[in-house]
Amino acid sequence: MKPVVAVWLTCCLLLTGPGAQACRVCRPRVQAGIHNTEYTANLLLLLLPVVLLLLIGVGVYFASALTSRSSLPPAHD
Amino acid sequence: MTEPLHRTPLIAAGLLLGAGLGGFVDGIVLHQILQWHNMLSNQLPPDNLVAAKVNMYWDGIFHAGVWVLTVIGLRVLWAASRRADVPWSGRTLVGSLLLGWGLFNVVEGIIDHTLLGLHHVYEYTDAKMPWDMAFLAFGVLLLLAGWGLIRAGRHDAAPRAAYAA
Repeated sequence: MKPVVAVWLTCCLLLTGPGAQACRVCRPRVQAGIHNTEYTANLLLLLLPVVLLLLIGVGVYFASALTSRSSLPPAHD
Repeated sequence: MTEPLHRTPLIAAGLLLGAGLGGFVDGIVLHQILQWHNMLSNQLPPDNLVAAKVNMYWDGIFHAGVWVLTVIGLRVLWAASRRADVPWSGRTLVGSLLLGWGLFNVVEGIIDHTLLGLHHVYEYTDAKMPWDMAFLAFGVLLLLAGWGLIRAGRHDAAPRAAYAA
């Protein structure tokens, strides 16, 4: 459970943290360029391959359990 | 009766780790060292400081994603190492790492380069397609090498405990 919480907290910090602290002059324009109406679409598109790869990996991990479960004889009541 | 062996947990761990590390290779080598592209460089060319910094933000999000992938891969490897029914095979693990890296290149290449056009491998040319295809071809090569190594390791049957002491 702890790793899940740690990953979740890291993601929250990354997604809600202010962007581009180092550039005082251009910071408002940079933030406007990041947090615009396309933010959610950009985020989803950008993470799509990562999510797909994660699903493939998790699917392979549970593959043996799933196939052995599906090959079990049907339970009798 | 002996317990049947399962290689898929080790393959899954290698696959996730390989995909995550392959993402880091892309990010570190192609984004930062060579600076051939950024995550959104086809949609927002980094031709001024603001655009470059916006691209830098999205590169960071991508790196965060592949970091999570790598951490989950480590967790899965740890889980696999504690199971007596998982044979501890170096060939299977290295093959899975290559398979994961190849899968990253193919999945990212098809989605980001070809379908969505978020960026191309080498932005500073009019002929972007050959670079994208070379990236995909390298991914396929990695897939084949990984598959071959995993097949070679299918007879490795010693559990991790056999390597202790």
